[in-house]
Amino acid sequence: MPLNYPIAEQTLDNGLRVVVSPDRGVPIVAVNLWYDVGSRHEPPGLTGFAHLFEHLMFQGSRNVKSGEHFALLEQAGASLNASTFFDRTNYYESLPSGGLDLALWLEADRMAYLLDAVNQENLDNQRDVVKEEKRQSYDNRPYGDTYERLVKLAFDSEHPYGHMTIGSMEDLDAATVEDVHAFFRTHYGPNNAVLTIVGDVAEEEAFMAAKRYFGHIPAIPQPPAAPNGSVGPLNGVARDDVVSDVPSDLVTMIFRLPVDGTPELEAGALALDVLAAGQSSRLNRRLVRSEQIAQSVSGGALPLVGGVSFGTLTGVAVEGIELQRVEDAIVEEVEKLAADGVTEDELATVQAQNERDWLEQLATCAGRADELSHNALLFGDPGRVNRRIDEVHAVTVDQVQQAAQEWIRADRRAQVTYRRRDAETPKTSETSQEQQ
Amino acid sequence: MNTPAVTTPPAVAAPRPWTFPTAVTTRTGAGTPVHVFDRPGQYVATVRVTIALPLHSEPRDREGVATMMARTLDEGTELRSANDFAAALERHGAAYGVDVTTDAVHVEISVPTTHLAEAVALLAEAVTRPAFTAEDVGRHVTIRLGEIVQERANAGYRAREAFSAALFDPSIRRSRPTGGLPETVRGLTNTEVAAFYRAHVGPDRAQIVFAGDTGGIDVAAVIDEVFGGWSSEAGPASESPEPVYLSGDRIVVVDRPGSVQTQLMLGCPGPDRRDPAWGAAAVASHVVGGSISSRVDQVLREEKGYTYGTRSAFAAPSRGGVFSLSGSVRTEVTSAAVSDAVRILLGARDGLTEQEVAEAKDNLVRTAPLRYEQADSIAQQVGSNIACGVPLDFADSYLAQISATTADSATEAYRTYIGASGLLIVAVGEAAEISDSLAELGVGTVTVLD
Repeated sequence: MPLNYPIAEQTLDNGLRVVVSPDRGVPIVAVNLWYDVGSRHEPPGLTGFAHLFEHLMFQGSRNVKSGEHFALLEQAGASLNASTFFDRTNYYESLPSGGLDLALWLEADRMAYLLDAVNQENLDNQRDVVKEEKRQSYDNRPYGDTYERLVKLAFDSEHPYGHMTIGSMEDLDAATVEDVHAFFRTHYGPNNAVLTIVGDVAEEEAFMAAKRYFGHIPAIPQPPAAPNGSVGPLNGVARDDVVSDVPSDLVTMIFRLPVDGTPELEAGALALDVLAAGQSSRLNRRLVRSEQIAQSVSGGALPLVGGVSFGTLTGVAVEGIELQRVEDAIVEEVEKLAADGVTEDELATVQAQNERDWLEQLATCAGRADELSHNALLFGDPGRVNRRIDEVHAVTVDQVQQAAQEWIRADRRAQVTYRRRDAETPKTSETSQEQQ
Repeated sequence: MNTPAVTTPPAVAAPRPWTFPTAVTTRTGAGTPVHVFDRPGQYVATVRVTIALPLHSEPRDREGVATMMARTLDEGTELRSANDFAAALERHGAAYGVDVTTDAVHVEISVPTTHLAEAVALLAEAVTRPAFTAEDVGRHVTIRLGEIVQERANAGYRAREAFSAALFDPSIRRSRPTGGLPETVRGLTNTEVAAFYRAHVGPDRAQIVFAGDTGGIDVAAVIDEVFGGWSSEAGPASESPEPVYLSGDRIVVVDRPGSVQTQLMLGCPGPDRRDPAWGAAAVASHVVGGSISSRVDQVLREEKGYTYGTRSAFAAPSRGGVFSLSGSVRTEVTSAAVSDAVRILLGARDGLTEQEVAEAKDNLVRTAPLRYEQADSIAQQVGSNIACGVPLDFADSYLAQISATTADSATEAYRTYIGASGLLIVAVGEAAEISDSLAELGVGTVTVLD
C-alpha cells in the first residue's frame, strides 16, 4: 500500500534542503530541522557536544534573548523540543499555522547567530543541567547504564557508535567556550541541515518563507564526515556481568546489524521482531507464557546509517529463577531462528505491526515532518516515507533467515547481565568483563 | 539576491478557530452508547471501551483485583487461548491495551482502518467473553508481584506512592497503589477475578468511543455487530466517594540508598472538574511550574542548574483533585532546591502578573489542536471525560474557562488551594544525607520511611 502524502523539495543557494508537505485539513504547522551532526561525529575528547548544543540552542542567539525562544513559541501555542541521537540532532516545533514565520525566524537566528549568545555563564549553567539529565536518565535508575555498557562491548571506543550521545562528563567539564564555538562553526550551517515544513501552508508560501528567513545565512565549509563505522557481525561473545541494587535479574544481548537503508537491515529488524515484538513473539510465548521464567521480554533493531546498525534482546527473570535459564532460552531461540527461519504467518504479523507503527508515526504533522527530515538528510530521499510500508512488506522469509544467520547468532553477540546483590556481598557495584 | 536577516520576531497571525471534534452517538442493541469521531486522514483508528468501575469497589484485602481483571481480559477467551488471541490480534496489525483509573477501566485497540472489523470483533471477545483460567491469572499474579518490585526501585514511582499515602486518609482507596500491594495481590485467584468481573462489567456500565478515518464505513454498525448481544448481571456502578485529605506542613523522606539525586514531589489538594475554577487553576499552574519558562524552572533549572527540569499540574479523577510539582535534583542541593521551590510556590499566592497569565492562556488555548491531532488522543480524552462524568466535549468548556481567566481569578484559584491546608513535601533519596538539612528548613516535620 503506497502512501501519497504530497512532498516537494527545493535547495536554497546556500545549500539548505527544504522539504514541504502541505496538509490543509489541520490548523497547525510543523517545523523540523535535522542537522547532520550526532554523537558519531564527535572526535575523541569532545563526546557529548552534539547533545550539549541541544541545550545551548535554547539559550538565545543574536536577536533572541535568553529564555525568549521558549517564551515566544509557547505563547504562540507551540509544542517544541529537540533530540540528539548517534546519527543526527533535530530541532522542532508544532504550532497554529499563524506562527510559521516566528518559528522559522527563531530557527534561522540560532542557525546563523547562536554564538553571539554562547558564553561562559550559560555554558556553565547548561553543563550543570546536562549533568542532572545524566543523573536522572542514566545514574539514578535501575539498569540506567545498560546502553552505555552495551555499546562499549559491541564497538571499540574510537568507533562512531562506541559512546553514548550524553557523552562523558569529563569531556564536558574540560570544554572551553572556544571548543564549543569551534564545534558549532564546523557543523551548524544551512548546507549541513534539512528543513521540513508540514501542515497548513501552501507549498509556494512555505518555500518563500524558508528563503526569507534562511536565505541570507552563508554556507559553512563542508564538515568532516563521521568516521566510517563499517564492521561485520560481532565475533564471539563479549560479556559484562554486573552485580548491583537492581529490582530483578536481567539480561540484555546486543547484535550488530546491517546498515540502515538496505533490505538486509529490514530483514534483520523483522527477525528481532519475530523473536521479541508483541505478545505473540517467540520469546514472549516461550519465556513468559509457557515456561514462566521471565516477567517480560523485549527487543528490536536500532537502524543506523554509519556503516552498521545494532539490535537488542532483553529478558527479565521471574523472582527465584536463575538468570542463566533466561539467557539459555533466548540463545536457543536465536539459534533456532537462524537454523529454521520464520513462518510466512510470523513474518506477516510483524509486517502488519510495522505498518501500524509507521501509520501512527505519520498521523501527526510533527511525526511526518520528522520522517521527511530523516529520509531527506540521511538518505537524500524524503519520498521513502511514502514507500516504506511496501519496502517492509517486500521482505521475504528467506531474507529474514539470511539476515539472522549472518548477524543474529549466539556466538556473534555481546551481553550485559544485572544480578541482585546477595545480603553478604559487599556494598559496591562490581563489574567483570571478559572477551571470549 | 537574498533578503537580509530579519532582526525582530515576525508577528504571529491569529489562529484559526478550533473546537473539540464532534461525535455521532448511537446505542448498541445492548444499550451501550457508541460515540463515533470521524477523523479524515487518521488511518490508525482507536476503539476504546470505557467501563465505569470505581476502584473503591475493590475489597480492602483484594486491592489490585480490578487491575488483574483488566490485564487478563485478553489472556484467553471462551473462544481461544491466550496465545491464539494475541496471534490473531497482532496478525491484523492491532495493538491492545488496558488502563485502570480511579473511576473506570479502559480497554482499547489501535488498528489500521483496513482491519477495523476483525480487530473490533477481537476487542468484543476480550471484553464480553473472557475466560480467566487459573493458569493465566496465576501467571499475571506472578508478573504483578515482580512489577511491584520494579516500581519500588523507581524513584519517581516511589515519590508518587508516598505522596498519595501522605495526602489521602487511609480510608480513601487512592491512598494506596491502583495495582494493589503484595499482600493483596498474592492470594488472588481466577475465581475471585471472574466474580469481580461478573459483578462489575456489563453493557450498562460501558461506553464505546471510536476515533479515526471511517472511510465511509458505518462504524457504529461494525461495533453493534459484536457488542449488540452483550448481556451481564452487573449492577450499576456506585459513585466514587468524596476524598478525605490529610493536611499540615510535612516532609516525608523515603530512603533510597545509592541515589545520586533526590526525587521531589510537593503538593496539596486541588480542584476537580466540578469546580468552575478548574480552568483558572490550570492557568496558574502553568505560570508557576508548567513549562521551562515557569517561575520554578527559571530558578531551579535556568538560574541554578539544580535540575533537568520540574513540572507542576492540577490533576483530578471524578472527585478530588491534587496539585503537585515534581522533579529531581542532585543530592547535595536537595534542601536548597526545596527551599527555593517552597518560596516560589507560596510566593505565587501574592499574585500572578497580567503578562504571565496572558502568556499562559495563549499557550493553553493555542496548543489544543495539537493535543487532539491524533485519533488516539481524542479517544483517550473522551474516555477520560466519560470516566470523570463530564460531557464528551468538556475540552471546549475548559478552554472557555481558560479564555475567561484573569490575573485575579487565576491568583484566586491558586490561593484557594496552595498554602491553604499545608504543603506536603516528599523526598526520595539518600535519607542520611538529606533528612537533617530538610528538617532545618522549618517547612514541615520530617518522617523518614524505608
